[in-house]
This record gives sequence, structure tokens and C-alpha cells, in this order.
Amino acid sequence: MNTQSYKFRRFLGNLGVYIVLTFFALVMIFPFLYMITTSFKIPSDTFRYPPRLLPRDPAETTVNGYDEPLPLYYVDVDGQQKEYALVQSNIRVGTYAPPENLTATVERYPSEVKPTGGAMNPQSVTIDGKEQKLFDVEVDGQVTPMILVSQTTVGEFIDPQNPEEKVYRNVRLSQPVENVSWHPENYEQVVELNNMSRALTNTALVTILVVVGQLATSIFGGYAFARLKFPGRDTVFVFYLGTIMIPFVMLIVPLYQLMVLIGWTDRLAALIIPWIFTAYGTFLMRQHFITFPKEIEEAALLDGASRFQILKDILVPASVPALATQATFTFLYAWNSFFWPLVIINVGNEKNHVLTLALNVLRGRASDTPNLILAGAAIAIIPPLIVFIFGQRFFVESVAGSGVKG
Amino acid sequence: MNEVISLDVRTNQILLLQSIWRGVFAVLAAAGALAPWLGWVTLDSNWQKLLVSAILLIAAIASGIGALQLTRHRHAGRMISLALDYLAFVACAVIVLNTGEVFIGIDALGETFGRGLPYLGIAVAGYFLGTIEDRFPKRDVSTTTSLKTVSRWIILGGVVLFLWQIDAVNGVLYFLGKLLQPTGLVAVAGTLIFGLSLWSMMRSEVAEALNAKTNHEQIISGWLFLSPNLLGFLIFFAGPLILSFYFSFTDSDAFNPPNWVGLENYARILNVRFAWLSSPTQLAREVVDIKVYDEVGRLALGNGGLLFAAADKFFWLALRNTLTFVLFAMPLSVIPALVLSNVLNSKLPGMKFFRAVYFMPSIAAVVGIALVWQWLYNATIGYINYFITVGIEFWNNLFNLAIIDPKIQWVSDEKTALFAVILIAAWQTMGFNTVLFLAGLQNIPGELYEAATVDGAGPWAKFWGITLPMLAPTTFYVVSTTTIQAMQVFEQVFILMNPPEGPNNSTITLVLYLYRSGFQNFKQGYASAIAWVLFIVIFGLTLVQFQRQRRSSIYES
Repeated sequence: MNTQSYKFRRFLGNLGVYIVLTFFALVMIFPFLYMITTSFKIPSDTFRYPPRLLPRDPAETTVNGYDEPLPLYYVDVDGQQKEYALVQSNIRVGTYAPPENLTATVERYPSEVKPTGGAMNPQSVTIDGKEQKLFDVEVDGQVTPMILVSQTTVGEFIDPQNPEEKVYRNVRLSQPVENVSWHPENYEQVVELNNMSRALTNTALVTILVVVGQLATSIFGGYAFARLKFPGRDTVFVFYLGTIMIPFVMLIVPLYQLMVLIGWTDRLAALIIPWIFTAYGTFLMRQHFITFPKEIEEAALLDGASRFQILKDILVPASVPALATQATFTFLYAWNSFFWPLVIINVGNEKNHVLTLALNVLRGRASDTPNLILAGAAIAIIPPLIVFIFGQRFFVESVAGSGVKG
Repeated sequence: MNEVISLDVRTNQILLLQSIWRGVFAVLAAAGALAPWLGWVTLDSNWQKLLVSAILLIAAIASGIGALQLTRHRHAGRMISLALDYLAFVACAVIVLNTGEVFIGIDALGETFGRGLPYLGIAVAGYFLGTIEDRFPKRDVSTTTSLKTVSRWIILGGVVLFLWQIDAVNGVLYFLGKLLQPTGLVAVAGTLIFGLSLWSMMRSEVAEALNAKTNHEQIISGWLFLSPNLLGFLIFFAGPLILSFYFSFTDSDAFNPPNWVGLENYARILNVRFAWLSSPTQLAREVVDIKVYDEVGRLALGNGGLLFAAADKFFWLALRNTLTFVLFAMPLSVIPALVLSNVLNSKLPGMKFFRAVYFMPSIAAVVGIALVWQWLYNATIGYINYFITVGIEFWNNLFNLAIIDPKIQWVSDEKTALFAVILIAAWQTMGFNTVLFLAGLQNIPGELYEAATVDGAGPWAKFWGITLPMLAPTTFYVVSTTTIQAMQVFEQVFILMNPPEGPNNSTITLVLYLYRSGFQNFKQGYASAIAWVLFIVIFGLTLVQFQRQRRSSIYES
């Protein structure tokens, strides 16, 4: 009994753990899901309330005797929900009532009634001080003069299998039949609308060059700090360490002026060259190289290998995980950066836009089509996600490793 | 000792040539230092003249000393020589690249790069094909060698096709064509001369002739390896940092020469007035000079009140909003992370999956995320209000209540706008913090918990007694990095809000205000001052957290 209750309690505990974790996982994933499904919707579907996750299109069907495909609606026929096709909408219907009893209403098409006394001599009656026209309405074979109480419009629905079967219902109150369908052409449209392909290429170019350049300078710098003894090394290293905490916004004004001076405003070079040299990356590489056994290197030196050869043939091949970690972080930083491109690249110069800038422009340009905006957002967000799925180990474990030790 | 070593003729010649070269270099550099002042070269402003002259003058003096040392066969001469030639070589190479429009040409590369990208992918795939052999133990030598050959050919083919697709030939031709102008030719000649001089001095015979010790080799390679990083760091980080400090004392506008204004920028930021109000609704103009001061906020105290007015009301509003943001966003992203990491630390299956899912938001571009949330926050069709409506309906039905659906206007209501930004930021940083905490938890030795279990401690006692104190360094790291990041909040606000400062300035933040001053009104001197104030606030907050962490760790030991 005791062990059983213990087991049961543990089971409940584990269940609780999974419920909490799943709840948070849903919170984390939901915006991404929303982004992706909305990016495949048609505009009218995005503005629907209550919102639905999956993209849907109004269903259509072809009916014998009609050239165009007809939209399908759910129609209540004899107490049953049926899928009927809408043939004609905006058919006017009048509600008529005899002047002496306004609650006894009947519905007729305006074409079915005639003004009392004929079109030449219409008669009218005064009710509550208002003059109302009288119409001849036929009820059960009897013609009675009635007044028009209200007017609405209805649609003519037919059974697709049996086009003779017609019913009249209010179109706006009827639910359209909808099928789940995806619209990848949204992506084509947003790429065309906003020069996204150029922005994508530019982002890829900038990211690749920044990652490669930063890895190169960090490897060399980190090696010098970790392995070579030279006067001034420790001073420079302390200086590097001190600047790691300095926020980027401190530099944005003078760096902008430097770019004005060199003539790199509005140039992709401004997004690349200044970001190749980093104190933090150098620091990480130094921390990594310093854990290496010195003996291998000394043996190689005795064999006449140069420092460069040692670095290239021994240290770098053995540091692939650390390099991959740094590469993934630099990749994210370069791919996602927005503030600096916003400052340095002109809004009008779309040739040099990166994805984040293109999104900023898109935000204003397509403000009434969320499907296009979110397709643009997906273009910017999905490549890092793919990299993340493949390099998950490097991402997560490196955050774990570098952060706390550093 | 010197007499014993017989120098071979060639090394002697090199040393002689090098001494002469150093002399020539010194004279040329000195002439260059004078050039801007004598009007031989025109430079835009005085500080440029000063900078160029100072650098060249130092180079001239150093070169002169180097020449002297070399004639005396001292090794210091070689070091000076190498340093000067290396720096001059790098400078010339950069000028060559710049004249050839390599840096500016990256823009043109953007046009063709997309076509070449697939082939670059092929080359990378080829490289990975070659590394397969290293990952798996070899079984058959012949297959692995052929695999290596295949991989090499794939890489070669990929790179060639890539270069062809991006139109590399035309690029190189254009580069060479640009070099034919005088600046280009002089720079190419300079690169060659300095390169040759470097190469001659790097020779081991020369090193031996000057009695180089083994640690000299380390010094040379040390600085050489560090130099690319250090030079870039000085130009693009340290230099601008000092410039930023200078600009904060000027009225710089990025395009005209800045004028020194002393502490004026800081004085304007800090120019504030407190005034007592005789009633909570008394007008500001009755107690402060509204030509200078704007009301920032007021505090009702009984029948009276306290008015806070500032010369630059936007700065103080921005500071208020930023601090509010930090005050909420930091705990909202740290505390759930702490809880989740403790849950994730249980050794149940599937934890790695959850860890990865939680990490996802932190890798996505803030701009994209803010756009997604903008639609989630939409007051009429957004999911967040929909969930609230559904939740309230459910609640009302369950307990037979009549709670009214608030229908929050998230981003267009000044009461909720900042909170909307806070939620996004917390959502985005929570997963990252969870992973950091998880790493900290995994470093806590299991014996501590075992010992506590033996002593009869329950899970809560273990959490407060072991987990939290042992996690203190991680907590400090997480809290301080989250705070530093939160202090710089900009992108979420900029994208989510329209206009970015939000309804009634409710989401103007310090960095947003810095951006507005510096890059929309082009008051860059003032923007620099804001940056330094921001830095001081961040530094202060970090220091406070550091003190607290140190104090708490003293208690434990």
C-alpha cells in the first residue's frame, strides 16, 4: 500500500511537471505557429474573429447550368445543416403588414407586390403622423393593402446536387463552407513587393563575411593571448575584458561619424568591417585555447613547425566545437541586427537593405495585409531557426558553458 | 661577443640597407608630418592635420632611433624596424584595397552573390564530405582516400562555379583598373617596399646576427597574431569610445565641425526642479518657469503635492520608462526561468526537447518577433484578447460570475503600451535565462542534496538552503546581463509602437530618445551625453548587484 501510494504520488508529480513544461512550451511556440499559419492565409481570413490558426479558403463548387463556380454556405434546411451554393445575393425582400395590425407581417419580394391603386395613383395611409404607401399583397389568395415595415436582402441558395431545390436565406448570417488551404504565393508576393530577395542576399553576404572575419581575428587574437608571452599582453587583455561590458549604444554616434568620414554610410561595408573585430570573441577563444595541453605544441615547435602551422594544423581542427559555437552566435548577431543598419543604411536605398530593414519598410507598406507582413517576418526568422535545429547542441550547450564561466 | 660571430656578407648588406632605409623612412615621415601645414596636402580640418602629423612624427622619431640601433647592431633596431614596416605595410594594403574600391564593392557583390550562393553551398558540402572520414573509424583505406579526392574536386568545382557566378573576373579587372590611378600605384609600391623590408628583417640570419633571443620570436609572433584584432579594435571600438566622450562635450551634428560646449549637454539633461503644490491639481506654470521647465510628473500628498519638472522632459520620461521596463521585464524573465530550470533539471525523458523549445524565441530577430506580437496584440482580432475573452467566459460560466471582458487596447492605450513591450521582452529572454540557470544547476554537486536528504530536508528547504545559494554566481550573471540588455531596449518599441514613443510618450526609452536626438534631429553631441548617462546608470545597477552578490556569498562562507 505504502509503495503504491508513493508510486502514485511520483506519477502525479511527473504529470504535473509535464503539464507545466508543456504549457510553457505552448506559450513559447504559439507566436511562431501563428506567424507561419497566418503567412499562408488570404487577407480576408486574417481579419476574421474569432481567430483561427489554420488558413482557410471559402469553398466553391460547380453546378450544372452555371458557368462560374459558386460559393458554398451552410444553410439550415428543414432543421438540417446542408451545404448549399449561393446563386444570387442581394435579393431584396420586404416585410409587409396591414396598417390595422402591424404584428401580422408577411415577407414578399418587391416584384410580387404592386402599389394599391396602381402606379399612376398610389394610395397611402397615415400612421403615427407619418404617411406610408400602401401595397397590394396577396395572402392565401386574398389581396390586402399593406404597408412596408422593413426591407432586407437575402441570397438564393441551391442544392448543388439538385439545382431545382432553392431556399432563400440571409447571406451575412450564413456560415460559408471553408476548406483548409495554404497560399505559398504570399511569399512570392512579399518578395516581389519589397525587394526581399535582395535583402535576403545582402543579409547572407553580411552574415557570412562577419562570421568568417570574426572567427579569423578571434582565433589569432585568442591564440596570442593564450599562448604567446610578450610584454604588454596582460595590459591589453585587461583592457579587452573591461570593454566587454560596454553597451553598443555608446559607440553608435562616433561610429556613425567615423563611417561618414570614411564614406561608408549607406554601404554594406559599414555592416561588416567594424563587426569583424570583437573583444568578446577573442576572450572566448583565449579561454578555449588556454585549456589545451602545452606539450603537444612544444613538441611541434621542436620539430620545426611555425606558430601559424601549429594553429592551423593542431589547435583549430581540435577546436571545431568551440568555433562552431562562436560562429552560431556571431551568425545570430549579424543576421538579427537592426539598430546599426537602421542608422547607417538609408531607408530609400533598398539595394543595400538587410532583412530587418526590409521588414521595417514592409511594416508600413503592407500594414493592412498581416499575411504579407508575417510572411516577411517568417523569411527573416526561419533561416536562424533551421540553423538552430541543426546546431542545437552548439547553441544550448555553449550558452551553458560560456556564460557562467565568463 | 660581437666580434666572435662572423657575419656573412649578405646579412651585412641587408643590415646596411635596412639602416639606410630607416633613415630614409625617418626623413620621409618627417616631411609627411610637415606636409599638411605647408599646404602640400589639403586635409579637411585641423584635427585631421594634427592626427596625421602626430602619427608621422612619431614614426619618424622611431625610425631614426631604429636606424641608430641597427648601425650599432642592436636587436631593438630590428624590433622597431619590424613594427614600423608592419604598420606601414598594413596601412598601404588598406589604401590599396580602398583605392581598388574593395570595401565599397561589397555593395555590387550583393547583386551577384545570390546567384553564387548555391555553389558556395556545394563547396561547403564537399568539405563536410571530406571530414566524414575523420568522424568514423576507417575500414577501407582506398574508399577514404577516394572520398578525400572527390571532396577536394567538389570543393574546387564549387568555388570555381561560385566565383564565375558572382562575376569575380570582372570584379578583379575593375579592381586592377582602379589601381592605375596615382594613389593606387603609390600604395601598391608602398606595399611592395614595406613587404620586402619586412621579409628581409624576418630572416633568421638577420635575427641571429643581431643576437635575437627565443623570447624575441614570441614577442614578434605575439604582436603579429594579435595585430589584426587589436588594430580593428582600436579603430572601431576604443577610438570611437573616446570620441563619444569628446562629442558629449560638443554640439556635434555629424556633418559640421563640432564646437566645444563644455558641460552644457549634461547640464540640460540634469536641469530639474522640484516644487511644492498647494493643491494636487495646481497648474505647473504657477510654480515653475514653464519657459524652461516642462512638467514630468506629480505626486499628490494630502492637500498639496510635489511637482517634478525638467528642462528636457523627454529624457526623464525615457529614464522613467526604461527603469519601469527593467523593473518588470527582468523579474518576469528571470523568476520563471529559475522555476523552469529547476523543473527541467529533473532527470525525466524529453527535457532536452523542452530546453530546445524554450530557447527558440531568443534566436529569432527581434524585429520579426515584434511584428508577430503586434498582430497578436491587435485589440479586435488578436489572439491575446481572444484568449482573455474565452478565459473570462469560461470563468464566468464556471462560477456564475459576470466579469466584464476588458477588451484591452494593448498598444494604443498608454496604460498598457509599456507592459505590452515588457511581455515580449520577457517572453524572448526567458528561455535563454533558463538554459543559463540549468547550466548552473548542473554544476551543483549532487552530494549536497544527498546529505540534506539524510538530514531530513524537504524539497523547499533544499531549494532555499542549497540551490539558491549555490546558484548565486549564475543568478548574478543572469540578472546583470538581463538588466544590461533591458536598459538598452529599443527594437521592440521601435517596431511595435507607431509612433515609436507610443501613446503620450508612454514607451519612449533612453535608447529610443538617443536615436531620436542623434539620428532624427542630428544633435549628436547631446545623444553622446545621453549615451554616457545611460552607461553610468547601467554601471551603477551592475555595481549594486555585484555588491549584493558579494555580500550574500560572504554570508554563506
